[in-house]
Amino acid sequence: MINIWSSFTGKKAGRAFVLPAVIILLLLTIFPFLFSLFLSFGKVSFLGGLQIHFAGLRNWLRLFNDERFYNALSNTVLIAVIAVAMEYVLGLGLVLLLNRGVKGSTFFRVLFFLPMMLTPIAVGYMWRMMFNPTRGPINHVLPLLGLPAAGWLTEPKIVLYSIILTDIWQWTPFMILILFAGLQSIPPALLEAAKVDGASGWRLFREIIFPLLIPASVAAILLRSIEVLKIVDKIYILTGGGPGIYSESMTLFGYNLGLRAFDLAYGATIAFSLFATVLVISIIFLLMTRRSQEISLE
Amino acid sequence: MFKKTRKSRLILVLCVSAVLLSALGISPALAEKRFEGVEITVFTQTPPFIAKPVQMFRADWEKETGGKVRLITAPWGELYPKMFSSFALGAKNYDIIIFPAAYLADFASNEFLAPLDTFLAADTRIDWLDILPVYREKISTYAGTIYAITMDGDSHMFYYRRDAIENPEHQAKFKAKYGYDLAPPKTWAEVRDVAEFFNGWDWDGDGRIEYGVVEGMRKGAQGFWTFFSRSAAYTSIPGQAQGLFFDPETMEPLINDPGHVQALEDWVEMIEFGVPGMINMDNGEVRSVYAAGEAALAIDWGDVGVISDTDPGSTVKGKVGYSILPGTTRAWDYVKKSWVDFPEVNHAPYLAFGGWIAGIDAKSDNVEAAYDFLSFLGSPENSYICVTTPETGFNPFRESHFEKLAGWYGYGFVNPEDYLGAIQATIAHSNVQPDIRIPGAFRYFEALDAQLAMALAGAKSAKQALDDAAKEWEAITEDLGKEKQLKNYRASLGLPIE
Repeated sequence: MINIWSSFTGKKAGRAFVLPAVIILLLLTIFPFLFSLFLSFGKVSFLGGLQIHFAGLRNWLRLFNDERFYNALSNTVLIAVIAVAMEYVLGLGLVLLLNRGVKGSTFFRVLFFLPMMLTPIAVGYMWRMMFNPTRGPINHVLPLLGLPAAGWLTEPKIVLYSIILTDIWQWTPFMILILFAGLQSIPPALLEAAKVDGASGWRLFREIIFPLLIPASVAAILLRSIEVLKIVDKIYILTGGGPGIYSESMTLFGYNLGLRAFDLAYGATIAFSLFATVLVISIIFLLMTRRSQEISLE
Repeated sequence: MFKKTRKSRLILVLCVSAVLLSALGISPALAEKRFEGVEITVFTQTPPFIAKPVQMFRADWEKETGGKVRLITAPWGELYPKMFSSFALGAKNYDIIIFPAAYLADFASNEFLAPLDTFLAADTRIDWLDILPVYREKISTYAGTIYAITMDGDSHMFYYRRDAIENPEHQAKFKAKYGYDLAPPKTWAEVRDVAEFFNGWDWDGDGRIEYGVVEGMRKGAQGFWTFFSRSAAYTSIPGQAQGLFFDPETMEPLINDPGHVQALEDWVEMIEFGVPGMINMDNGEVRSVYAAGEAALAIDWGDVGVISDTDPGSTVKGKVGYSILPGTTRAWDYVKKSWVDFPEVNHAPYLAFGGWIAGIDAKSDNVEAAYDFLSFLGSPENSYICVTTPETGFNPFRESHFEKLAGWYGYGFVNPEDYLGAIQATIAHSNVQPDIRIPGAFRYFEALDAQLAMALAGAKSAKQALDDAAKEWEAITEDLGKEKQLKNYRASLGLPIE
């Protein structure tokens, strides 16, 4: 009797065990990804079954001539750059404060993490009420402080900053989480030695803590950037992309054209342009980080 | 012994009855349970609104017929893609869909829906002729064939605060400022004046500032319907084929003609007289703001009326007046390319959205059972319960809904005659304008919505925004096939297709 399992050893067995995972990955990730890419070069018709006709660069040419695309792209990049930068700075500051062992730091740590645990839709509705011009608490309090009330979600010049504010409120805790873990991994002996040598607090931060936090910082900034570049849920609830198209993000633009208007091929094109944007920004960021690390090592 | 005898007699009686009934060809249990073992799947919007009637009545139908009703729901934004893909791919995911009337042309022109004329002709329960003509002849019908059962009557109407307008002090001040009597506005020009007059002061004496008007302007919501409610009277001449969307001879978009431009200019001006933040309000917010007593005027479907009078939190119960949408004293004639003046006010009420209707997948294996459920759900009795029950989202659409007032008083209405009268005046108006009903309707709407939002935000002039929208509409028409779209548009208007 031949035991077929006996031949499954070494590489063969490894491949056999990995195969189900590969098939699932292909079906759930790679195939839809390639299909969407294919759609962006096609024209879709559902009549008489799903039909996709090759349309060349038609959708891409339309995209590059579409003012809404450039508007959505610049809105998205602006939100990502400002929100992630602010989240990082605030997160780092709070981490350093929490690490000093201030009274009640455990309580504050839990408190800071709460916004991150809420769903973006809930956050959107909460801030929409907060920003309400006539019934919201923000516009109620501002005049009491001698400041003018504002149309937080209706003024084209400030609507993006209102959205950025909600994102900072919700996601600064993520920066705290990652940076706090990074800070905890710095050997205390190193810091003690520096202190013994007479290093000031600022010098300690600049020459030991910050450089050692760079790997954690890169991970945190990259992960947040990728997420913010895909922002849609909060904007959908807060403004729907308005006023005008002043707060329309790339994902919302894609949703509006792809699913509301049911123009699937163009929706896929928008989705792929967002993917390319995320990819390019991520590569640039990683290259810049590597370069700065090389310079600091030199 | 006695017990045994009684039991034996009972068995004997049952056996004899069964034999006699069988001999007569009647099997009561089987006749009652005519859809035993059949399961039908209904697909519609996430509850409570629209799905609630199915939840309310499915148990009764299941008890009566032995069938089963499975309800699948999805949020608004996912309805169209899921319905269309299920039909187009022949997936038969749903036997019944309850859907916005604007989708009918897409579904009917592609033969996705089962024609219902034969079923209706044989149906003694549904009382089809009780349904108001505009719904049964236009909204549920495509190219002369009935494809859907009316579930909901939807049209925009106009609301005003009676206590504000009927106040003699306000009337005197208004006349001094504008030179004519303060009354419920009859034209959009009067709406502007009344909104301006009541904007920014405490006219109801509650210690808070009130505003002139509240209308849904939010991008990505229902704003484009509000726009067409305003532009309909500027562009619809009684007796002329619809001039609201396209030229029915050429399929050229009409949305940038002077009538529409005038309406958009009027609408942009209303921001100044509206509740702060109105540009970001959808109609859900319009309803709560109006019920909170913050505005004198509002445009909405029947829901402002419902919430104002029946919501426990409303501060305006019994204070709201209802009317047909205001009109104009001139309209743009798209054929002659000139303005036409009217001696009387030209009204053109707009069936915004057109209401929810229910259709059956043409490929369904359970068409009969599906129709039976729809007939049950849409019957005069059950539909009356639906339109007078909170959170169904359904508004009246049958003659009988307007005749029986008890349910409306029970619902909480203070003046149901006025409310129903305004709806009836809208629906039965000779110049009533149906919503767009051609394939790709929401693609056209999406393109227009973005341009309207730009105009409302001050990023473009009304003319520029509508010119840009018209260009996008032309491109969409070309993409979908101009000839095909022209035929569909003419069919939707009941015009001959050459």
